[in-house]
Amino acid sequence: MEINVLQYKDYTSVSIQGRVDTMTAGDFENRLMEILGDGVTKLLLDCSDLTYISSSGLRVFLVAQKKILATGGILRICCLKPEIKDIFDISGFSVIFSIFSDVEKATSD
Amino acid sequence: MKRTITLSNRIDELTRISSFLKKCADQWGIPAPVTLSLNLVMEEAFTNVVQYAYSDNHDHEIDLIIKKKDNELEITFIDDGKQYDPTGEKDPDINLSANDRPIGGLGVFLIKKTMDNVSYFRKDNKNHLVMVKKL
Repeated sequence: MEINVLQYKDYTSVSIQGRVDTMTAGDFENRLMEILGDGVTKLLLDCSDLTYISSSGLRVFLVAQKKILATGGILRICCLKPEIKDIFDISGFSVIFSIFSDVEKATSD
Repeated sequence: MKRTITLSNRIDELTRISSFLKKCADQWGIPAPVTLSLNLVMEEAFTNVVQYAYSDNHDHEIDLIIKKKDNELEITFIDDGKQYDPTGEKDPDINLSANDRPIGGLGVFLIKKTMDNVSYFRKDNKNHLVMVKKL
């Protein structure tokens, strides 16, 4: 798992590459919490290159969503591969996240 | 057709699980999306055993067996941990809002939703978790 952080419009965009599984979820969570700790209020999780996620990874997405909602911020997800979107659908996560098909739509306001 | 791998009760064995699955999938011509969801199921089942089945610090062996039949795949985990039947777990409420959603509790649910049949039995002091996916 690799993470790249960049600023795009008003959003801090975190691009997640590779696998977020039980072995890498802790690292992913630490990086995200660091970013949120820096006072980010508009966060985009770009999943274009996210190739695999398990419940350990989903857990981190939910933790981030709870944390950002508590501070009145916005978390958006974009560019989920179909097989990853399936896992979000099954888990009920498609309802609790704002999911967009591309970066432009996700950051349009 | 049947393949077996014996794993240690360590999370980093997930790497061996993935490559074992990939080898079977390549040989048996299992489509990539199915392989990915089987990888997920194996990770959830294996992680549960490693994290919750043992209260000692000893090494334990966990067997993973994949059987390919005509139109289905059967995945079995056998461990010597404490008795635990995941099929009895209550499903999470997936209609809750983010604020109300509890953290965790999704692993077994993902297994049940992904596979067509999940069954459990205890034999000779070992847990057997048998998960079937129709192809």
